[in-house]
Amino acid sequence: MSGAAAGAAAPYWRNAGMTYISYANTCAAMVRNCLKEPHKTKALNREQVYYKLQTYQEGEPQKPVVRETPPAPPAKE
Amino acid sequence: MASGSGRRGGLRLARILSGNVNSYLSSGAEKASTAAWRSTGQLSSAEIAPFGARSVSGQIVRNRLRSRMVAASKLRNVQVKAENSRGLWQPFTALLGDAPATKVDKKLIVTISSDKGLCGGINSTVVKYSRALVRLNALDHGPDDKPAVVYVIVGEKGKAQLQRDSKKLISLYFGEMRKQSVCFTQCSMMADEILKSNEYDAIQMVYNKFNSVVSFLPTVATLLSPQQLLAGNQELTGELDAYEIEGADTKEEVLQNLGEFQFACMMFNAMLENATSEMGAQMSAMENSTRNASDMLDSLTLTYNRSLQASITTELIDIISGAAALEG
Repeated sequence: MSGAAAGAAAPYWRNAGMTYISYANTCAAMVRNCLKEPHKTKALNREQVYYKLQTYQEGEPQKPVVRETPPAPPAKE
Repeated sequence: MASGSGRRGGLRLARILSGNVNSYLSSGAEKASTAAWRSTGQLSSAEIAPFGARSVSGQIVRNRLRSRMVAASKLRNVQVKAENSRGLWQPFTALLGDAPATKVDKKLIVTISSDKGLCGGINSTVVKYSRALVRLNALDHGPDDKPAVVYVIVGEKGKAQLQRDSKKLISLYFGEMRKQSVCFTQCSMMADEILKSNEYDAIQMVYNKFNSVVSFLPTVATLLSPQQLLAGNQELTGELDAYEIEGADTKEEVLQNLGEFQFACMMFNAMLENATSEMGAQMSAMENSTRNASDMLDSLTLTYNRSLQASITTELIDIISGAAALEG
């Protein structure tokens, strides 16, 4: 899925390789960081991520990779 | 609870049986044998009474009941989340349409299944539908060597079933999803990975939609890539032309953003619905298995009692005839 169609300039995030989903989620993470304290930890804890990703090449499973958000203390991002 | 009264009933019956034995026997020699019998614990002690089987199984039934309550409360939580998330994709379907019968070159099939077992037939139905979609695609395209269909599997059970015959078609596998509860960030990260790793013309997501605690409908959600959307749907582009798009975005860019976001929203909803269906199927599977186990337990207890009484009666007959032979 390459950048914009011919003619218009793509937005900066698409040029940097992000999809709209990653752009929207990064913005959401920044908004969550702006919350005040009790709501902030609640929001950050709500959006914890953990999953294992395994790519398959030619029918053979490759080594699985774990993607997770570290359960961050409220000060960090 | 039920097992306590069962145990008490067992004790009562054990006492009655031993009472019967005593009343049948007249001479002292037989009393010794009864005493020996009782000392082996077969008739006297409550724990290893002939009806001891009932007390052990009562424990199992109570455990099952407790885990059913836990499952019911978990189900309620996920169900609320799933129903709230339906509002995310409904505007998309209203705008962009849902076209399950599109013939495209490159298809991506996202199979959403569960990690844990004991959930009835939901995983097999999802796998069956995915395989059927692959066959339909093969029909559309004739004997092509290059696989025009690619699998992305979410969940352990789906991988176990699909790995057996479709290993060459699998592109990505996501596992251990349930360590953290499903959230939009997680689903959008997964959607991001899928988008970045594969070129596709259409995505078809197969999952179980939650209808009620006993009914789960396997559903296929079709998402076209933005290029397909533009190419196929003239009225859509006409409609979009009627709107003025602010900023520097063109219509193609807006459609591309919308297409990606639609995928993330549908993924979120599909994961939640599948999780709810999994909980519901687990509850009904546990309930069925509890009921079957109780029925089997009852019939087996009856059989056990009958055969025990038969053997006691045989022993009695032997002893009595032996005693009669001695006297006579």
